[in-house]
Amino acid sequence: MDEPAPAIETDNLQRTFTVGRRSRRRTIEAVTGISFAVRPGERLAFIGPNGAGKSTSIKMLTGILHPTGGAARVLGLVPWNDRLALTRRIGALFGQRSQLWNELPPRDGYRMLGAIHGLDTATLEANVSDLGERFAAADLFDQPVRTLSLGQRMRCELVACLLHRPAIVFLDEPTIGLDLVGKQQFRDMLVELNETLGVTVFLTSHDVADIEHVAHRAIVVNHGEIIHDDTVAAMRRSLLRTKRIEVTFDHAIDTTELGRRLARDLGTGVTMTGPGIRREPKASATSTATVEVDTGRHRIRTVLDHILVDGRVVDLTVVDPPLEQVIGEIYRRPTAGDRS
Amino acid sequence: MITVPRPVAPPEGSAVRPAALVAAFATQLRVYRRAPTALLVHSVFYLMVTAVLSGLWRVAVAATGGTMAGYDPTAIVWYITTTEAAILGVRQRLIEDEGEEIVSGRIELDLLRPAAVFPLKYAAQLGEAGPKLICSIVVGVTWARLFGGAIADAGALALAGLALVLAVLVNVAAQLAMVALSFWLHDVKSTWFLYQKLVFVLGGMLLPLEVLPATAQTVAKALPFMAMAYVPGRLAAGHVELGLLGLQALWLVVMVTAAAVGYRVGLARMVRHR
Repeated sequence: MDEPAPAIETDNLQRTFTVGRRSRRRTIEAVTGISFAVRPGERLAFIGPNGAGKSTSIKMLTGILHPTGGAARVLGLVPWNDRLALTRRIGALFGQRSQLWNELPPRDGYRMLGAIHGLDTATLEANVSDLGERFAAADLFDQPVRTLSLGQRMRCELVACLLHRPAIVFLDEPTIGLDLVGKQQFRDMLVELNETLGVTVFLTSHDVADIEHVAHRAIVVNHGEIIHDDTVAAMRRSLLRTKRIEVTFDHAIDTTELGRRLARDLGTGVTMTGPGIRREPKASATSTATVEVDTGRHRIRTVLDHILVDGRVVDLTVVDPPLEQVIGEIYRRPTAGDRS
Repeated sequence: MITVPRPVAPPEGSAVRPAALVAAFATQLRVYRRAPTALLVHSVFYLMVTAVLSGLWRVAVAATGGTMAGYDPTAIVWYITTTEAAILGVRQRLIEDEGEEIVSGRIELDLLRPAAVFPLKYAAQLGEAGPKLICSIVVGVTWARLFGGAIADAGALALAGLALVLAVLVNVAAQLAMVALSFWLHDVKSTWFLYQKLVFVLGGMLLPLEVLPATAQTVAKALPFMAMAYVPGRLAAGHVELGLLGLQALWLVVMVTAAAVGYRVGLARMVRHR
């Protein structure tokens, strides 16, 4: 069976900016040539440190910035040439820039946006009602936007992006400033709209939890080029050379001493993390320790054997380190530009 | 491999959906429905300014023998009442607010909608100005009738009503044309400051152009600012000069074209060079 056409496809997409005047004029390469494809229905995290070229890329893909080289197609359209046609088929949320009116309830803003998109009243009402029910946000639609919390407003903003039933939504750091509950609700909405409506999600974020909870796949950019492109799960597997062992003993132990002993017996590659002595309240008389193991040097089983010598273990978990650490490692890798 | 079509300018002016323009206008009306006190505050402010200025001018006219540059005390009250209605109906910091949208880059959001940017902004600003203008007319006619007396030619007042609408249309279009300069000049505050002073004096908001020295009068009557205040004021003062309405219509075409072209070229530049 034929592969469906990519929802997004770029080929050596580039963007340079000229800054300064006359003799101080210089060129900055914001995007140095990125190529990738996104399948319809995929949830992609496009991540990188500040100044990596994420926002520039998203602007080119939504048609509001011309590239200086290369090519791109979004839903078969060249974004910067077919911008108006493309806006009918994509939704976009840029940070917390609002497309609603502060003084008015979201429902009034939706009427305006529906008219811009050419939706008739019945279609608009049906879409608003459906999205309100789907995202449990209908009760927010009749309150003035200025009275909503940031989390509530962002949910209403996302609904605004979806009124015309776009095939792709581009989200540029949409969870900045949201509290934990707000972030979780927003992530759930993204997963829901992808799974039930089949909308392709293109997300940039600095929040690793957004990537973990929402994305199937992550493209990491730095200095304007792609330095990693894989599924989130594979990214963890291929890049993780460490595991964390979290162990709870049924009696109080000096974890600093445990660390010293592991280092003496096993050499480098096994480190204690967290405080030197961590004891639970005396009533429970337990203690916990976290050991980070370089799996390239030691087998987990060997390390466990050495830990278990210290006494009775009541709980033990082997986990991957946080994704944040993995991404930090990718950012620190030299890019092609650095190597040349 | 993707084939690379030649870049072309985005067709900014090609998508104007009438329903979207009506919606942009109506959205601003809804804001007033939610916060009607804004219109009350506007009406009180308008009445205060009009009362002070028309009172001063009536005293000045009386002191110069009962007429000044063809305006008697009644005519000058109607003139000032009308010019203030024309100018105060438009958002005072329109150039600054909309210019800041461009300078900060927030205007990018408008490019993510399937509609040309300028017509929507124009419709929204007219939606904001319309109810203010209606309030000003109600308050202003009452004030001028009580304080200045009746104007002999009722037909002139009817023409002044039409001229008021044209004045607001020209003023908003001209301000949006100035806003479009923000794509090149990033100092929107000084643009707004300059524009405001030109409207006050050369537009005839504070004084009839006939009281200016001859050269200044000639210059003022050749500029678009006269279409924003002087024309409706002159008609309301009882001077039935149909040619003034023609001039307003001409300046309306010029300003709408300038603003539309300014936005089109500015946005095209922005998506290429920003």
